Amino acid sequence: MYYLGIDIGSLSCDAVLIDDTKKIVASSVVPTGAKNIEAIKRATHEVIEISGILESDIKASVSTGYGRERVSNRIAAITEITCHAKGIKEVFGKIDVLIDIGGQDSKSIRIDSNGRVIDFAMNDKCAAGTGRFLEAMARALQVDIDELSDLDHGSVGNVTLSSMCTVFAESEVVSLIADGVEVKEIVKGLNSAIASRTSSLVKRVAPELKGLSVAMSGGVARNNGVVRALKEVIETNITVYEKPDIIGALGAALFAMEKSM
Amino acid sequence: MMYEYFKNLESSLEKKINETPKSPNARKKYSLEVARIGKRLYSGKDKIAWTGIGVPFDILNTMGITSCFVEFVGAMLASTGASGNFIKEAENTGYASDSCSYHRAILGALSQNLIPKPDFLVGTTLPCSGGLAVIENMARKFKKSLFVLNVPQEDSLQNIKYLSDQLKDLVNFIQKETGINFDENKLKEGIKKTNKARDLMIEAYNLAKKIPSPVDSRILKDFGIVTALMLGTDAGIEVAKAYRDEFQAKVNSGESGVKGEKIRLLWIQNRIQFRYQLEKWMEEEFSASIVIDELNDITWEKIDVDDPFTGIAKRIISIPFNGKAEKRIEHLKFLAKEYKIQGAINPCNWGCRQGTGERGLISDGLKEIGVPVVNLEIDCIDQRNFAEGQVKTRIAAFIEMISN
Ligand code: SF4
Repeated sequence: MYYLGIDIGSLSCDAVLIDDTKKIVASSVVPTGAKNIEAIKRATHEVIEISGILESDIKASVSTGYGRERVSNRIAAITEITCHAKGIKEVFGKIDVLIDIGGQDSKSIRIDSNGRVIDFAMNDKCAAGTGRFLEAMARALQVDIDELSDLDHGSVGNVTLSSMCTVFAESEVVSLIADGVEVKEIVKGLNSAIASRTSSLVKRVAPELKGLSVAMSGGVARNNGVVRALKEVIETNITVYEKPDIIGALGAALFAMEKSM
Repeated sequence: MMYEYFKNLESSLEKKINETPKSPNARKKYSLEVARIGKRLYSGKDKIAWTGIGVPFDILNTMGITSCFVEFVGAMLASTGASGNFIKEAENTGYASDSCSYHRAILGALSQNLIPKPDFLVGTTLPCSGGLAVIENMARKFKKSLFVLNVPQEDSLQNIKYLSDQLKDLVNFIQKETGINFDENKLKEGIKKTNKARDLMIEAYNLAKKIPSPVDSRILKDFGIVTALMLGTDAGIEVAKAYRDEFQAKVNSGESGVKGEKIRLLWIQNRIQFRYQLEKWMEEEFSASIVIDELNDITWEKIDVDDPFTGIAKRIISIPFNGKAEKRIEHLKFLAKEYKIQGAINPCNWGCRQGTGERGLISDGLKEIGVPVVNLEIDCIDQRNFAEGQVKTRIAAFIEMISN
């Protein structure tokens, strides 16, 4: 039997299929787009196709993410906070603090040794420092969002962004380009700004990080530059799973298995 | 327009109550009294006063004055879905959008002439300076006299005397402004009613503490702060008794306010005032119930009928919002223990320095006794400032966390 986890976020819809042994048999990440129902169908269809199973082989599914209530045929809808904690515990064993930066939310989650959430903090309504912010900055820099990841290489770090507001930061980036500032320095400046904002979220759940293990999940964790900047700011190593965007869906799939036992 | 609104509300509630006269109808009776106060405020016939929070409404009631704290207007506009326009109006006249939206809504309503002219105003230094500034604005606009009660923070003999002397001055001020003569016997009668309502409210609150609680998340919303308007009157007794009776009947029959109550929550400071089914959603989705609000408690002793000013002064000073954050936090801890709370929700109302400024201290204080707090950072008055998805995710994640 198989268990499906669907994480429907603002930018991407992620699906993970696991088997009875909790092994990931397929995963998929598709853009959410304007119609999240379509994205849910597509992601589900993809994992079924990759794994070669029949839809009827899926014993249960659990949804998570901001659109979790939109998923039909689920046995439960669980928040991304709980699911990310569950997923990260599965892939890394003990993790004390998880930083999850998604499309429009960033969260820091304090986890106990059983993978249970013991505290969490979320950004306020503003999208500063999230996937949407990076998307806008990539647009201003006229690069693909995935390219941003390593564009900071070789920078000396002499650019500081004065605003984290997406609108102001975008025009600041445009001005910096016009002033002839090197792209690597601008990208480094952006990464540092996100890192500094995220670190205050981390401090809210773990004022002292010494001796704690920290991991990062969510789409923004694929951006190496942001992860590097964050490590510098919090002065702690950060472990990132090879597919950080599927951690929430993995947690959801694990809950599907647990809850249908 | 407002008079008609309250009049219609009054008659529809009377009709509903008459349909089931034997049932306590607690919330309906409460709402009926609120509608009646609203009607009197807008009737143009009564002597009226706009006030701040913590004002001795029993003194005003027994002198025949209909009075109300101004924040009520903000809450009322939000509940009717109209606050947005008034807030915008206040912002157009220069009020910063990061100030408390209760106050912006009132100032907008003031500039739109939606607030009836009072005979006088009474401000307090409680719970925030923003409220006092609004009253000062109103006094200037209406060209009416303002009396400000300077509430000392510490409970000491000297401070009680200082405040009770001000209460006596307030009485003289009201006599001068309205021509109404103060009648000591009427105040004594009023204080007896205050004490009676107090006893009934304590009984109701004690019943609310039961497991499962007879309260649902909505029945006591705004109760403590609004019932203060009815102190010293028969209506106050009637409403408190209805609550006591309704809870008693439920406890006797083993009926819980929220079916299958699983999670007991404490709500800190103000509720969300616009129509939004957050409480219902929490009940249906998680069997979670807000069994106690920070603003629903009796923190004062019975008032000595022969020395009312001293007792009222003690009551005002006892308000947990008055004074150091430490006093407020101790009170929250007390409530959390008394009501066997698993978690607390702090809305951190947008623009409220008091609400957001103390959030870290509150979280740490409640954490000491094992009660986690979720901070929502929402606007309780301005629905345009409300991100439903984020709020629901925070609450759901919080409930998942405490359920584990
Ligand atoms: S919410 Fe805060 S600022 Fe607004 S009236 Fe209440 S105490 Fe004052």
